[in-house]
Amino acid sequence: MTQGERHEREPLPRPPREPSGMAEAEALVAEDVRRQYGDVVALDGVSLSIPEGEVFGLVGPNGAGKTTLVRALTGTTRCEGTVRVLGVQPADVDDARVGLLPQSFHPADRLTARELVTYYAGLYDESRSVTGVLDDVGLSEDADTWYENLSGGQQRRACVGTALVNDPDVLFLDEPTTGIDPAGRRSLWRLIDDLAAGGTTVLLTSHSMSEVERLADRVGLLRDGRLVAVGSPESLIADHGGDSRLVVDAASPADREALAAALDAEVTEHDGRLAVRDVALADVGDVVSRLEAAGVDVESFEWSEPDLSDVYLRLTGESFVPTDVDAHPGVEREVEG
Amino acid sequence: MSRGRRIGATFRAALRAFVRRKTAVFFTFFFPVLLILIFGALVGTRPTGGGLFAREPAFYIPGYLAVVVVFTPLSRVGSTIARHRDGNRFEKLATTPLRRWEWLLAHTLVNVAIIGLAGLLLFVLVIAVTGATVVVGPALLALVPLVVVGVALFCGLGAILGRLADSQDGVIAASNSVALPVWVLSETFVPPSMLPAWFRPVTAFSPLTYFSRGVRTAAAGGDPTAPLLVLAALAAAFFAVGAAAVPRTE
Repeated sequence: MTQGERHEREPLPRPPREPSGMAEAEALVAEDVRRQYGDVVALDGVSLSIPEGEVFGLVGPNGAGKTTLVRALTGTTRCEGTVRVLGVQPADVDDARVGLLPQSFHPADRLTARELVTYYAGLYDESRSVTGVLDDVGLSEDADTWYENLSGGQQRRACVGTALVNDPDVLFLDEPTTGIDPAGRRSLWRLIDDLAAGGTTVLLTSHSMSEVERLADRVGLLRDGRLVAVGSPESLIADHGGDSRLVVDAASPADREALAAALDAEVTEHDGRLAVRDVALADVGDVVSRLEAAGVDVESFEWSEPDLSDVYLRLTGESFVPTDVDAHPGVEREVEG
Repeated sequence: MSRGRRIGATFRAALRAFVRRKTAVFFTFFFPVLLILIFGALVGTRPTGGGLFAREPAFYIPGYLAVVVVFTPLSRVGSTIARHRDGNRFEKLATTPLRRWEWLLAHTLVNVAIIGLAGLLLFVLVIAVTGATVVVGPALLALVPLVVVGVALFCGLGAILGRLADSQDGVIAASNSVALPVWVLSETFVPPSMLPAWFRPVTAFSPLTYFSRGVRTAAAGGDPTAPLLVLAALAAAFFAVGAAAVPRTE
């Protein structure tokens, strides 16, 4: 993620999932998985275990190895180390139990959405109802439109449909919501929730931290081919998210050093915006008052708790300085000054 | 049953995807027709005058049929593989029960259907336009397996080219580079007697030579079993290698 790139707003709360009551078996296991392309190390000793029924989110910068790890787990690339899917090597797994939506998947464009899903349904001895799948991905009304004439979001939803048609036990979704509008995205989120509630194991890669925070039971963060952190979103945020942050839009220039002294806190400045860390929500009014008392003409401010984006930025070592009011994710409060 | 279901599903999807590309359909049929009109009607044959068309019109029937039997599967299967690879379709198919040879068989059957129609059109046109004569009899039915087996062979070769070439442009360039010399130098348009003596044995290494011999023999009312068997054996080999060449991974 680069400086100035917009984050998404607060994710919807994740619905509670009922425990299955059964002992959890491992759906996916990777042990010391390595993959190298020439001199480029794509995976550098990744070990991971995902129990059945879990939604696991895989995040990381471009080139971190997310897609390579998906390919290693699906057996579509060679790798060193041990990979097991539903207890067996990927080559031995029952294909009917696995679903995959590859990254940048482009099916035949002169087929309708219905024909596309029908095609993939025809590859399995048993499949879900094509109409039901199209309903699930919200394409019932456009089912008879050629793929090339669907919008980008509809195309992606049709592709997701092809991964669901065999009712898989393990579902790999490599950036499933890329190009999908917010409504379509939330529709797919609900679908993934339903699949997870039904016991499907989902491995999801995404660049959307709010999506992963919303969907995943656990999150793994890849950097340079290594899994640098794994845990629930809550635990990762608690361990690596850092402090809450107050970002102030100031109409008048501010003396950062003086403000830091007045607030007794670290103040950073970028493009006229001031950021103060570790401010409790209850203290926001007091901080703003002190800023104004120090001669800062506050136009607006935004307070946010740390979230998965902060974890991501901290663990990937990428820099980020908010440059507009939408830039920082999390619980946001904005007041016109 | 399930294998038939997979192949049938792939066949239907591939056929639909092709017939909806009107430009591709048009030129699949128009290109060979154009060749017949140019070479058969405008240039014509001069059986006693030497030159390019030194033999009787019927001699060139295999050459005209070979236009669709060689060029179409080479470019279609090759570019289909390139498109599938670009769209990560093979990565997805690798996680389904569909096997590589099933995929190639389905696409071969699509080509057989398309090229069968085009070949029939060509055959009728060759007879009508060039005045070529054929012996109508049971032997003529051998043209069907000859075309089917020939298409399967070049679908296999197209899969190999699709695997080796790294883009659709590369596939087209490679398929043209392979198809043109094969088409010309396989006892199709150039009689062996017109080739240098040292080169004549080389034509025996071209699979299309056996297609030419089979078609010519069948059109003359003879028994094409021997060239058909050679062609079938070569087709099985090319299909097997082509199926192995269909990408499974990235």
